[in-house]
Amino acid sequence: MAAEAKPKGVDTTKNPIPFEMAQIPGPEMAKTYMPKVIGAIIKKSKRPLLVVGAELFDDPVMFDKMIEIGKMGVPIAATAHSVKGFVERGYLNNVYQIGLHPLTNNLRFSDWMGLDGQGQYDTVIFMGIFYKFANGMLSTLKNFNRDIRRISIDRYYHVNANMTFGNMAFTPDDYHAAIDELIAAMKK
Amino acid sequence: MRYPKVFYVFSANRSRIYQRKRRLKNPMATSKGSFTVEDMKNVQINIGAVIKEEEEWDQPMGPYPKPNVATLRDWDFKICNRYKIMYSPADDTCTLCTYGPCDLTGDKKGACGINMAAACGKIVLVAVLMGTCAHTAHGRHLYHWCLDKFGDMKFDMGSEILVNAPLTRTILGTKPKTLKDFGEALEYCEEQIVQLLAATHTGQEGYYMDFESKSLHGGMIDSLGKEICDMLQIVAYDMPRGAADAPLVEIGMGTLDQNKAVLIAYGHNLAAGAEAMIYTENNNLWEKVDIGGVCCTAIDLTRITEAGGQSKVPANLGPKAKVAGAMGWWRKMVRAGIMDAVIVDEQCVFCDVLEDCQQRHIPVIASNDKIMLGLPDRTNDSADAIVEDLVSFKMPGVAILDPVKAGEVAIRTAVAVKPKRAQFKKESVFDEQQFKDTLAKCTQCNQCAFVCPPHIRISEMIAEAIKGNLEPFSTTYEICVGCQRCEQTCPQDIPILKLYEYANREYVKNQKFKMRAGRGPVLDTEIRRVGAPLVLGQIPGVIALVGCSNYPNGTKECYDIAKEFVDRGYIVVATGCMAMDMSLYKDADGKTIWEQYGGAFDGRNICNIGSCVANAHIHGAAIKVATIFAHRNERANYDDIADYIMSKVGACGVAWGAYSQKAASIATGVNRLGIPVVVQPSSIIYRRTFMGRTDKPEDWMVIDARDGKMQQIEPAPEAMLYIAETKEEAMLEMAKLCFRPSDNTQGRSIKLTHYCDISMKYFGKLPDDWHLFVRDVKDLPLTFQQQMMKELEEKHGWKIDWKAKKFISGPLRPADVSFDPTNLPRKIRAKK
Ligand code: SF4
Ligand code: SF4
Ligand code: SF4
Repeated sequence: MAAEAKPKGVDTTKNPIPFEMAQIPGPEMAKTYMPKVIGAIIKKSKRPLLVVGAELFDDPVMFDKMIEIGKMGVPIAATAHSVKGFVERGYLNNVYQIGLHPLTNNLRFSDWMGLDGQGQYDTVIFMGIFYKFANGMLSTLKNFNRDIRRISIDRYYHVNANMTFGNMAFTPDDYHAAIDELIAAMKK
Repeated sequence: MRYPKVFYVFSANRSRIYQRKRRLKNPMATSKGSFTVEDMKNVQINIGAVIKEEEEWDQPMGPYPKPNVATLRDWDFKICNRYKIMYSPADDTCTLCTYGPCDLTGDKKGACGINMAAACGKIVLVAVLMGTCAHTAHGRHLYHWCLDKFGDMKFDMGSEILVNAPLTRTILGTKPKTLKDFGEALEYCEEQIVQLLAATHTGQEGYYMDFESKSLHGGMIDSLGKEICDMLQIVAYDMPRGAADAPLVEIGMGTLDQNKAVLIAYGHNLAAGAEAMIYTENNNLWEKVDIGGVCCTAIDLTRITEAGGQSKVPANLGPKAKVAGAMGWWRKMVRAGIMDAVIVDEQCVFCDVLEDCQQRHIPVIASNDKIMLGLPDRTNDSADAIVEDLVSFKMPGVAILDPVKAGEVAIRTAVAVKPKRAQFKKESVFDEQQFKDTLAKCTQCNQCAFVCPPHIRISEMIAEAIKGNLEPFSTTYEICVGCQRCEQTCPQDIPILKLYEYANREYVKNQKFKMRAGRGPVLDTEIRRVGAPLVLGQIPGVIALVGCSNYPNGTKECYDIAKEFVDRGYIVVATGCMAMDMSLYKDADGKTIWEQYGGAFDGRNICNIGSCVANAHIHGAAIKVATIFAHRNERANYDDIADYIMSKVGACGVAWGAYSQKAASIATGVNRLGIPVVVQPSSIIYRRTFMGRTDKPEDWMVIDARDGKMQQIEPAPEAMLYIAETKEEAMLEMAKLCFRPSDNTQGRSIKLTHYCDISMKYFGKLPDDWHLFVRDVKDLPLTFQQQMMKELEEKHGWKIDWKAKKFISGPLRPADVSFDPTNLPRKIRAKK
């Protein structure tokens, strides 16, 4: 690739291989995007929901980064027991404690009114959730409520999302930088 | 409703409508005697036996004896309308017929017209039937084997168990008197399975909800298949019949004496393993041989002749066998080379068992025609000749389908081969230099991490080990599920499980614990004692830990879950691999969970019910609450009993390591009986769950049986099949899934206390939805009462009379101790 064509910032489009390699669902598979593109899409959405899970405890700095997104007005669904991380940081403003399974069960129905009663979401952003489980829940949405945009900002290539990063599970510094770029793009 | 006697007497199964027609056509059929109806060849009617049965049972025949595929469809649809069927396709395509591959993503349909939901429903039904077949076929094998070996025997569960085959009674409407009588139940199961499997052919069932009704039917048949299995073996092998004080048996790889020849019996069907034990006993070989079981065969071998009753098997045999470990330990065990011979029977046996054993010169004997591994069938050869071939390594294994011969050959082979394989055993594991050399081959490419189910960072462990730190290899040993995907992926061909073996050699040697042997069914007297507190909520619930070894974060999690609930006063019951794995931990006093608590079916007790087929006794206990405590007739009355359980019996299953299709059929069968189940995150691969919508009041309407009025209830239980991401979430959800509309205020307050307390402990805050379950101030946990009342007023807009400490408005319904919720119109008592 010519130098001038190289994307600026961290290249999150590399390694589009399902993190669990055998997770090949079919003809429709996620595309990888740069952080600033995903950031801009989240910013543009009318009813986004950030969905975070217990893997945040493995990389606690991610709690702070998620709180930064929360502070920009994106409500947070804290799945599993991840809400504890928000309690410990004293940030519960727009954080809801709910399991990923019941949450996805609600998301698949167009008449659900959301965690705040204001209406169904148009974009969900998954992060920090056990891969196989997140993958299955994204599959539910992919097949049974195609009105919701499925974004993954996790360190894995998430095959059942619409938009995802490539695998960055073994390059934590790059991954953190990518999330920072995404946050910066949302702030623009 | 009393059905005409002839209605349920055909020994060959026919659809109910067909049976009814036959009766009308043949008024003769009501006379006493045995004869063949003219135009229905092979249909035997034995009226005499039925009249006798009627007289001996004070219950009239219920509405649904031997329900067919569609008989209980209304009940299934009630479940599915409240608990929405939720699919998570593991695959967006279908290749079941030659029109395929079809892309079913989103709204697309296959060439046959099927959509994604129905295609998922079909796969779910196939999986459920695999499980159901496994249990039923196990029952069929035991049926023939036990009758052959022991002859027919009286079906006797002892004086404290009179409701003695609750599922058979509830589903068939019959009371087996002898082992032979279970033949009728087996025939019924087999017919239902054939009918259900036929519905999965292309061009048959096409609607997802009907697939799920069929799956629920399959799940119910599975529960019956399990009951048949366990009842047969309890009687034939004189196993404990509800013994709270069943003996403590040895468990762990370290319990197998390496100075003796070690035979491993691996699978679920005790027949051949039991014969190995009998051979050892009769030939006084225990000084030379240790027998250890893997998976459910382990549990069942240790139950043999523990009841102290009449038996044709030598007395007190059970505790002489040991439990080597749950199924998840197999690959670790074989790589440690702790056995000299292996006998496999059926179910959950890794397909490469022969390859693994052959590499280590461990002879394998396949003893059941369901798993023959490509081995020659030597059933008709002499034991001497077979032993000779195995001990000389002329053959890596043999199939012997006669359990007696298989048992004898296994023991003789283990003894004779032990000295001969000593050198191979040594060579099959790493020494220090080999370990170090192998570590050095790792290029840190991380390809292994892309396939490891629990996401173990193998490269990091290796890097640490190179520095001399083996701790990561130890701390992840239990987390590794032994799938060997990493080994297959590694470009350097690093045998990662062999590295694990080297690093954990001391642990394996010291893996020595105690497990309470499987106690079998719950006593009628125990049900009498706990019935009222359970239905009113004062015992906060029954927690059933069942199933396999694929835990998200290691075996310790099942100990943690069990301990949390038994400490809180729940009735905790366990079966199968979860019962085995929770035995591997001790408290500060050095006691296993079985030594810390009593083994009764009571609050703050923990029962090892038995192997996976003994799960049927958990269904049985729930049925017995309805029959013994609430005096409901169970006879051919499945939906009524399930309705009672769903509304009133606070119970929740957890299959935290579920991996198999049997786990799918088990959970589905439990669900049809109205009991919710929580599963681990990998269970997403099962594709289908049942989830309620708590935001839809119309989904939570029930009939008050007192007057037939509709009443809105709190979402309790809120789900039938729930996937939790972590053990913390699982525990919180399990506490919630024990709520029932029948809880009185004291009971609800106790349940809410645990729900809120678990949330505070692991989540750091109260759950967001606790208010949904509050009907009265007295429902509130005392510790949080003030805080909660304030929140109800401020956040949820409830009106509170603070002086009188009463709600003026707010709750969905008042607490009403005589409220009698039901989903079945026929249960309405008042005649208008
Ligand atoms: S069964 Fe139906 S969906 Fe499947 S391959 Fe055949 S036509 Fe396609
Ligand atoms: S064998 Fe263990 S370490 Fe290897 S992939 Fe499987 S779980 Fe991971
Ligand atoms: S795949 Fe093999 S070489 Fe690569 S990191 Fe894993 S163990 Fe090392």
